[in-house]
Amino acid sequence: MGSAGAGTSGQRSSRAGAGLPARARRWTCALLLGAALAAGPGAARAYDFVLTSRTIGQGYAERRYGAGGGSELLTRRRLTQYLNLSVFGIEPDHWHGPDADRNLISFEVAMRFDGDFGTYLTRRPSSPDAIGELQQSQVDILYAYLLARDVGGHLDVQLGRQLHYDLVDFYSFDGVDAQAHIGRFVTAQAFAGTEVRGDMPLSAPIYELDGTSSGSRDPATRPEQSSAWRPMVGAALALGDTLRSWPAELRVAYRKAFSDTVDPRPGDPGSGVNHESVSMTADARFRDRLFLSAGARYNLLVAAWDDQQASLRWRIGARHALSAEYSYLAPTFDGDSIWNIFAAGAYRDLRASYDVELTARWRAHVRGFYRLFVDPPGTPAALADAMPGGHDAYGGNAGVELRTVRGRARADGYAEGGAGGWKVGGDLSAYWNIRPNLFDVEGRLTATAWRSDDVPQPQDAFMVGGGLGCVYHLGRKMRVHFLGEDNSGTYYRAQVRGLAILEMDVTL
Amino acid sequence: MTDRGARSLAFAGAAALLALAVAPGLRVQAASPSQAPTPVAVGDPSPVVYPPPTLPLAFDHARHAQRGVTCQRCHAAAVKSLSAKDSLLPTEDTCRPCHDIDRAQPAKVVAPGKPAARCDSCHPGFMPPPGDAGRFAAPPGVVIPTAALKFNHKLHAERGMACALCHAGVENVGLATTAEMPKMALCLGCHDGKQATARCAACHVTLPDGRLRTAFPTGALAPSGSLRGNDAHTAAFRTEHKVAGRDERYCATCHKQSECMDCHGAGVVKPADFHPGDYATLHAVDAKRNNPNCASCHRNQTFCLGCHQRLGVAADPEGGQLGRQPNNPFGTGTAVKRFHPPGWVRDETGMVLQTPTPASHSFQARRNIRACVSCHREESCLNCHSADPARSMGANPHWPGFGSSAACRAMASRNARACLKCHAPGAPELSCN
Repeated sequence: MGSAGAGTSGQRSSRAGAGLPARARRWTCALLLGAALAAGPGAARAYDFVLTSRTIGQGYAERRYGAGGGSELLTRRRLTQYLNLSVFGIEPDHWHGPDADRNLISFEVAMRFDGDFGTYLTRRPSSPDAIGELQQSQVDILYAYLLARDVGGHLDVQLGRQLHYDLVDFYSFDGVDAQAHIGRFVTAQAFAGTEVRGDMPLSAPIYELDGTSSGSRDPATRPEQSSAWRPMVGAALALGDTLRSWPAELRVAYRKAFSDTVDPRPGDPGSGVNHESVSMTADARFRDRLFLSAGARYNLLVAAWDDQQASLRWRIGARHALSAEYSYLAPTFDGDSIWNIFAAGAYRDLRASYDVELTARWRAHVRGFYRLFVDPPGTPAALADAMPGGHDAYGGNAGVELRTVRGRARADGYAEGGAGGWKVGGDLSAYWNIRPNLFDVEGRLTATAWRSDDVPQPQDAFMVGGGLGCVYHLGRKMRVHFLGEDNSGTYYRAQVRGLAILEMDVTL
Repeated sequence: MTDRGARSLAFAGAAALLALAVAPGLRVQAASPSQAPTPVAVGDPSPVVYPPPTLPLAFDHARHAQRGVTCQRCHAAAVKSLSAKDSLLPTEDTCRPCHDIDRAQPAKVVAPGKPAARCDSCHPGFMPPPGDAGRFAAPPGVVIPTAALKFNHKLHAERGMACALCHAGVENVGLATTAEMPKMALCLGCHDGKQATARCAACHVTLPDGRLRTAFPTGALAPSGSLRGNDAHTAAFRTEHKVAGRDERYCATCHKQSECMDCHGAGVVKPADFHPGDYATLHAVDAKRNNPNCASCHRNQTFCLGCHQRLGVAADPEGGQLGRQPNNPFGTGTAVKRFHPPGWVRDETGMVLQTPTPASHSFQARRNIRACVSCHREESCLNCHSADPARSMGANPHWPGFGSSAACRAMASRNARACLKCHAPGAPELSCN
């Protein structure tokens, strides 16, 4: 047990699937092979391809608190490469049906390499000092799936690494998802697969629940559990469709992820649930003027509602719209985490906004929010009242935007206060096409002042900054983007950031 | 600030407010009435779908309609048109049966009551000198850009749809502009999935991969909110689209999922309208107040914790080089502690606090534990809160009544592994009684 804790972090920092040996690699290879077979020109047909490449280089500095209380700057250098491939038109044309909308088969893959270089506090940590949570030079498959849409006019099937979302849920898995459209108003969905987690090969942890950490060295936290496969299953039933003639839609969904216990100890359960929830969303519209949406998620793992949302939007004429939103959020974590015990508080938010089209080119908006912290049961009122920032937070922002064929410009201002501190600031930004399809410029000015409470005493600071950039169109679908930014304020006289992006789209 | 400065500021502010107040009444002004595109007003159909035409003409649809001229008489090609790219404008030959046009007589006078035949009666300001017709300078050209739509006039005409059904009000105006073009809400009256297809791509121009094309020379096509309300791509949409984004299939009509992941996958390029410059310094305020918002793009225990450890904001309490440094600025277990205030865990005598205070960590952890986990792993908590007497003092983190709650039973029955991180197997607490 003790050795497992000490060694795991180093193994994970090397990523390469040390925690997921042969089986993981076999699955990965199978997935890639399946994708390649699906995308490959196996028949004498002219598939359509869109290949998008984006290369991003960044250089900047970040502040750390120096040992004497002052600031020090640590440099950062990052190289990120996105590569997306879409293959479509895989199916024969005669499959399409009379409206050319059936049996559409496509393949989508998005990959990312992210290399994060630069200086460290003292030296680059290495095992066993490596920071397990800090990903360096990692290749991820963000998603890769084969999609068959409107099969027979009734079925959508998606196979591979995929991500899904609705009003109260967001998840990613490797597996299969099927949605059957039954009649005009009923859609049934079912899916099964394994949750995408950072400890899997070629996987990013971005959709993984917080709560457990692959960098942990403490055997009591059971870090070995991070390497377990997590099967995920779910189903949903939807009625109605706001796109069509029904003015309302209702959807009920269930999702569960679980895992076997790795290296079980005496008294351990054989398996455990990592996430289990039932969620409901509903939408309705009235006379194309009033739109209502609501959603709620009941987390079966902690026997509590952990997400509730409701919104109303009212379009007033062609130019005005009012929105109001309510949300309740109670933080929940991975079922393996002890933090589901600690997280007893919740948030209630009220938000309102007003949008107006001043002219066909000018738009403006005003927004405000109020957040109430719902204190844990048993919290003495006197204690809560004495908290820095109190029980609540509030703020608002306003902005005006100009959009023309050649560019856009906007001005924004904001102010917030309450728990956490206060901040006020504003932005001016513009993007302008100097010569069509050749040269664009952009600029931004920003100023912010803030007070962060309780660290350990309130800290006041201000910052002003500016950025200037340009986009040069090397060709019809090839652009290079340069951006320079400099900030100055309480903590710096100058903080320079440089960014260059090369974008290419290839359609075959 | 001086009085003069204050007055200048007040004047500038008043001028800005006045400009905002007046702005709604403004229309886009043409540089030259005869050569510039027709202005587009709020409420008109989208100028992206229907680019503003240039109509240097004098024409009165209302007068023609009153005299019984049917739509088809001038726009005969419309009922046969298969594409929005077709030109359906009448030519001079269409006008000649009524207008006795003679190019050799630009200023030709006709009998009272007869349709005008002068050039400038239809082409304002155009009056070439008399001469051979072939030598005439051409009148200012009419430019009607192709609509960014697929449209089959023939199909609609064959189904008995009258012109005025889509071009309502054209019989009451002079020049027809984009204001007389149909809006999407009208189309959806029939395209409801029952009478006619509700597929967006049935009318909207698509990319090779089937998604709607949204980039046009006249601007970007985006939902106005008429379809779903919250889908209106307002100026704040990039930061406030949770409700609009509830339907992934609807979003996929125009967007690839990689666009979602530019931000929600902890994208490497921060959108300028999300975070101001040097947000890394400013973010502490948001982390305390708005952490649920942060978590929509960033996983605390990788994105936040990794960076905090790298910068030395968070020490690795369980070992590692950073945590072992005696003067680590934020080091757990060291003499230097600047991140958390005095009284965070211990009182001034060094004793662990037994009763929460406004400055102690317990209250903050319960209110906003997401802020804690951006620096700490579970072991930080276990050091004091574990029920293992060999490891910690056993401070109970459960809220009052937890032991007999449904939450206790749910957690214990669904995943006892979390319980066993603190409690011994078989411990009576695990029964939730």
